[in-house]
Amino acid sequence: VTHRGVFIEDTFAEALTMRAARVVITAKTERWAREAALKFTGFATSVITCKCESAIERILPPEDTPDARPGVSILLFTTDTRGLGRRLIERIGQAVLTCPTANCFDGLPESAVRVPAGRALRVFGDKFQTSKVVGGRRYWRIPVMEGECLLQESFGVEKHGIGGGNFLILADDADSALDAAEAAVAAIDGVSGVILPFPGGVVRSGSKVGSRAYASLVASTNDAYCPTLRLTTASALPEGVNAVLALVLDGLSADAIRGAMRAGIDAACRPGVRAITAGNYEGRLGPHRFHLREIMNGAGRS
Amino acid sequence: VSEIVTLTLRAELDAAIEVDGVTPDRLAALSEREIAALRVTAGSRTVALGDFFAVRGERSPQVRFEGTLTNVNGIAAAMNGGEVLIEGDAGNRVGAGMTAGSLDVRGSVGDDAGVAMAGGVLTVSGDAGDRLGAAAPGATKGMTGGEIIVHGSAGAETGARARRALIVVAGDTGAFAARAMIAGTLIVLGRTGSEPGRSSRRGTIVAVGGITVPATYWFACTFRPPHVRLTMTYLRRHYRVGVDEGIAGGLYRQHCGDAGDPGRGEILEWVGP
Repeated sequence: VTHRGVFIEDTFAEALTMRAARVVITAKTERWAREAALKFTGFATSVITCKCESAIERILPPEDTPDARPGVSILLFTTDTRGLGRRLIERIGQAVLTCPTANCFDGLPESAVRVPAGRALRVFGDKFQTSKVVGGRRYWRIPVMEGECLLQESFGVEKHGIGGGNFLILADDADSALDAAEAAVAAIDGVSGVILPFPGGVVRSGSKVGSRAYASLVASTNDAYCPTLRLTTASALPEGVNAVLALVLDGLSADAIRGAMRAGIDAACRPGVRAITAGNYEGRLGPHRFHLREIMNGAGRS
Repeated sequence: VSEIVTLTLRAELDAAIEVDGVTPDRLAALSEREIAALRVTAGSRTVALGDFFAVRGERSPQVRFEGTLTNVNGIAAAMNGGEVLIEGDAGNRVGAGMTAGSLDVRGSVGDDAGVAMAGGVLTVSGDAGDRLGAAAPGATKGMTGGEIIVHGSAGAETGARARRALIVVAGDTGAFAARAMIAGTLIVLGRTGSEPGRSSRRGTIVAVGGITVPATYWFACTFRPPHVRLTMTYLRRHYRVGVDEGIAGGLYRQHCGDAGDPGRGEILEWVGP
């Protein structure tokens, strides 16, 4: 099967169930909301080392934020609810509480499962903090040197989030791979309910589970897709492929990931790209499977 | 089962009647005849609701009151869900002690509206009398939850002893607004009456249209309170309360009090955009 001349391999991306939160940061200007969001989502590429995965979901206009100021929507994923609460406390405490004019709100208000991150952070107010209930939801007013920081008391948890949707772009050369990856990221940018947690949304160091040589390693380089190892390992690279880049997607639902993968793969199918494939561990990683050919046919199943 | 139960006052009343207990949750389980047979109080007598009201509809949690209702007290008192619509003015104790649901008055209400309210939403398109959202006689706490939106003005002791409440008055308030308020927020878009916030413990008065701050409050700072912006935005979006950006995100002078235990209660006086 080809899509605009690019071979779509008959395989699937394998993903696992994760816990997710949506955090809305607002500030006086979009610039300051972004500043807080960039710190919040820093060093959050993979749960393997960073304990969470996080990125900006989309920029919010004032009419879409609780306090009618410019905002940024962030998604954060962890493997368990307890960890989600801890990461929220750490990141809101260090990235929002500290940022001039920034406030922090829950972006999953309908969720019944909640983590009280704002409630935990209220103690920074050293008993000078107060709270207000607006529309049935509690917010903490924490006194800071600038005036006050407003934090929502609790944040909703999506228990059926999905982490690890992915596809690999196999290209003639590194420049073509990067051009295609950038096009795919641009196509996915702003899709609701999905983030790309790696730098610029792109991964060059795809990994396999464990290590061939070092027993203590959880993950090591995906040698089958490294072009420089074509002759020294059981390479999976077709003839003529000299560079591979991957996009890894986390989403609030399987449908969100399917839609984003479809948009991303469609954009990545361009001159200089030979094939699209996906990373999986033969069903050992998680319960979710995203079959590339079904997704590109618009059918899709997880 | 009807879409709505309509109670139409048969004739204007010379004396007050009390209709406490005629609540949506009860009417949702009753037939038209049973609704008409509900007992209400007229002076020292208990009489059938149907003696005063024509009843149309049955078994619905949506209730509409029609007629000249200024002598009908206790409409929707203690309601715990459903929707009540009052077409026109109503008497005293409208929505007193309500715990949930929506109560919409397309007119003005008398005294003690929303007294001891614990939840739900009371909206009044006209004016409200004294003790709006205040404590019941002898009680230590007033409102413990819910929201009251008055698009006109309100009388004396608005929000007195409130424990946890959001009360919004688009017009003016009378004297002693938020007296002995324990916590919660009173927003006055018009002029706040004399002696506001007396003995307030942790309550907030947001005064937009002018206020004389008591001498027992001390000026702390001028700032843009983020919770005021959040609350004003919420009011604009949910209740179409007319607050512009200059008020929502405006500068406020914070005065802390009252008196002996300063710093916990506050008056936020709007000074400009």
